[in-house]
Amino acid sequence: MLWISKLQMRLKTLFRRDQVEGELSGEVAFHLAEQKAEYMAAGMSEADATAAARRAFGPVAALEEECRDQRRTRWLEDFLQDIRFALRSFQKSPSFTIVAVLTLALGIGANTAFFSAAYGILFRPLPYPSPERLVDLNDGIGGVGPVTSLRDMTREVDYAGYLAGNDVNFQDGGAEASRARTALATWNLARVLGVGPALGRWFAASEERVESPRVAVLSDRMWRERFSADPDVLGRRVRLNEREFEVVGVMPAGFAFPTPDTDLWVPVRVDPRNIGETWGGGNLFAIGRLRTGGGFEAARVELKPAIDRVRGMFPWRMPDLWGASATPVPYAEALSKDVKPKVLALSAASLLLLLIACGNVGNLLLARAVRREREFAMREALGARVGRLVRQLLTENLVLVTLGGAAGLFAAELVLEALPLMLPKDTPRLQELRPDLLLVTAAALSMLGTVVLFSIAPLFRLWRMRRECLMGKAVTASRRTSGLSLALIGVELALATTLLIGAALMGRTLWQLGQVDSGIHAAGVVSARISVGPSRCPKGCEALLAELQRTLINEPGVRSVTWSNLAPLDRELSAFASDIQDHPKAATEPAFMISQTSVSPGYFEALGVRLFRGRLLGDADGAGAVKVMVITESTAKRFWPAEPALGKRMRPMAGGEWLTVVGVVSDVAQYALTGFPQWIDGAAYVPLAQSMPSGSARLTMFVSSAQPVEGRLAGLVRARFPDVVVSRVASLEQIRGESLTDQRSTAWLLELLAGLGLALGVAGVYGVISHRASQRTREIGIRMAMGASAARVVGMVLKETVWVSVLGAVMGMAAAYGLSRFLGSLLFGITTHDTVAFVVCPLVLLVAAVVAAAIPAMRASRTDAAMTLRGD
Amino acid sequence: MAKSSDLIQGTLDLLILKTVSLEPVHGWAIAKRIQQVSNEVLQVQQGSLYPALHRLEQQGWITAATKPTESGRIAKFYSLTREGKKQLALELGQWERLSQAIGLVVRGV
Repeated sequence: MLWISKLQMRLKTLFRRDQVEGELSGEVAFHLAEQKAEYMAAGMSEADATAAARRAFGPVAALEEECRDQRRTRWLEDFLQDIRFALRSFQKSPSFTIVAVLTLALGIGANTAFFSAAYGILFRPLPYPSPERLVDLNDGIGGVGPVTSLRDMTREVDYAGYLAGNDVNFQDGGAEASRARTALATWNLARVLGVGPALGRWFAASEERVESPRVAVLSDRMWRERFSADPDVLGRRVRLNEREFEVVGVMPAGFAFPTPDTDLWVPVRVDPRNIGETWGGGNLFAIGRLRTGGGFEAARVELKPAIDRVRGMFPWRMPDLWGASATPVPYAEALSKDVKPKVLALSAASLLLLLIACGNVGNLLLARAVRREREFAMREALGARVGRLVRQLLTENLVLVTLGGAAGLFAAELVLEALPLMLPKDTPRLQELRPDLLLVTAAALSMLGTVVLFSIAPLFRLWRMRRECLMGKAVTASRRTSGLSLALIGVELALATTLLIGAALMGRTLWQLGQVDSGIHAAGVVSARISVGPSRCPKGCEALLAELQRTLINEPGVRSVTWSNLAPLDRELSAFASDIQDHPKAATEPAFMISQTSVSPGYFEALGVRLFRGRLLGDADGAGAVKVMVITESTAKRFWPAEPALGKRMRPMAGGEWLTVVGVVSDVAQYALTGFPQWIDGAAYVPLAQSMPSGSARLTMFVSSAQPVEGRLAGLVRARFPDVVVSRVASLEQIRGESLTDQRSTAWLLELLAGLGLALGVAGVYGVISHRASQRTREIGIRMAMGASAARVVGMVLKETVWVSVLGAVMGMAAAYGLSRFLGSLLFGITTHDTVAFVVCPLVLLVAAVVAAAIPAMRASRTDAAMTLRGD
Repeated sequence: MAKSSDLIQGTLDLLILKTVSLEPVHGWAIAKRIQQVSNEVLQVQQGSLYPALHRLEQQGWITAATKPTESGRIAKFYSLTREGKKQLALELGQWERLSQAIGLVVRGV
């Protein structure tokens, strides 16, 4: 086989190089020896014969090289040789290599990490079949009744219902309870998502009926952790909130709908007789899958009349606006909508960092090219072809970028490992993040482009002035290359300014949030989630709470034990569409939404919430007493700006008694430090005794104590009531801190990127100015010999820096001015054109740049004039 | 002495293939034989034979093996491969057509 023998030959040439070379020189030596022997036989002297043989043969070295050229592996050998040469030359200039590789790694790493995160969170296809066909109803029309009714009406879209994150008390056999997170689902959810169970089955349609036996499907994690991956788990009975459920299936690993922390899925139970649950709750969200080829447009057309029909099915009259803005949108889009601005801001920042890194590497290479001019001129004079030199440079660059890229990939891995710990836990798809190979390649290629540009470009200058170089004239930076390096640092500083301003805006936001008065003025208050099964609540709930209170109040240091249905600052609220006295609304208008929090007597006192008018809620406001409420100051101002709010009344539209306002308290950051969501019109507090939760209960306990009780709390409760689960024990200060995770992580990450950007920019200034100063040593020496003072020399070197940094800062400010509106949705308490950020950041940059340039300037001013002038 | 470029490259290849086709032979002998057979008319710079030999070897038309000569020295002996035989036949045919054509033109005038 011809190709086999050829392949053998090439492999031999590549890997048995010494042998092949030996054969070549042996062959030539044999030829010369034979020829010499012939000449000597003809009567020549040995010396003459040797010379004549060589003459007959021709130039040995050149012919040997020609023989080597015949080998088909020549390009590869050259490439390998170039790599070896490149590594050797990097070894000889370790500081250049380390700085260049680190800069490349930083740029590539940060860029890869944040773009991979952005891709993973925003763009990677969801792990379901045909994910682009999944539909979300953005402006919800939630609720068991509405969603299941809608499901039965639509043809274009298969709608399913789900509700994430119900914490339940889980018992497997024994009395001891632990927490588990369930998700409610309609029977067709698995069909809509296109995912089936790994073991057993999903729910049947009949299991949505209230009279059917209760069933549950386990998550893969729950199955492994609590059932040791027992294949016989099907048919096992577990208790959720004291009710027995049969395990009928196990979902595959990685199935994370609606949230990755879901432990079990249980079917929604449609009870037509329980009107409040079915129609009043609002607790079921819709996800759908396009059924036909009609796409989203057909889904939209179909939805309107369906919504109108569902609205008519309510047992009470719903406002005409209910569901009016519901629109089917791609589910992936809806999922990532909230995190999009932040993720994009971080990606943009990492892109700026990459550009700054490009600028730095460009400058490093320009300086290196100037230093190597003589080397290249020499090699060209010795016969190296231009193409060969360019190829050599390209190989060097490839090696450099490969090293930087590998280090960058490693850095990206680290960042992506750390990101899920930093970002808020509700960031979608955080667990799936990994560096994207395509993105590493893209970042590395952009770097390679820069590197090639800045190492090849100086070669052309070399071509023009090779004579001078060879003649041994002093190599000085030309106006062109040094102008280019100044322009590069100008751009770098501009990018760094933009980054700094972005980071400063987020930093200011965080600071502003830290200044917000949450309305809570109490130290030493610990909150804890308590969840109990239906045998404890609502019947006997008050007795249980009283008993818990008694248990804890006797502990040393404990001042009070109070209750609420929600923890403040926890992004949780319960709100009711409400009728408000003096503010009648037509059915066509959206109803007032009032946040309503249930609290026990002593709650306001324990949390230090100030009373402005009227009275706080007390023991007298029991279940049988007149229904009362306390509203916040801004709610009072909103509805009754001119008259006293005390004595006014409100009631939930879904029915129920009127509640009378008995007190006005200061505003409390009940939902978040940034305030309530836009759609909330006011906030009220009602007595817990008058609004006891139905079914299983989850309450928040507040223990005000002079001594720390966090560590003991769970144990104390468990010792008394083993079936009561205590979770999320934290001080109010901690809760406040954690509520800022979102802004804090964004601010820190942006500040990190900006810090790196500033560091790179300043390093760039230092590098370029040092290089320029050292190139100008002769000039400076002459100037000093002519009587220039040290101060003048410093000024001369600094002048350029000041110019370049001022220009850079101005450009950066302009860019930031245009770009900051993209940060708008992330900011709080400041405008996107915040004066402090826009004044301080450019100043910081200027100072940093001048300090960086001052070092080489001072060094230049200490030039010994006599030494320099004699130097040449 | 003629330079290698004086001989058309294809002609040198043909001469080598023809020489090698008779028996395995080393480089020096090929050079000698080309000189002798052509009655010293074709003067090849001896060294320029080697790049041509290496090229033919890379193309798989000839193959080399090292073995001792009669004088006991180790030399690289080239011989024709099967592919090489086909190539020789092809080039010979081309050569005959070319020389015939040239002969016709030259005599015709």
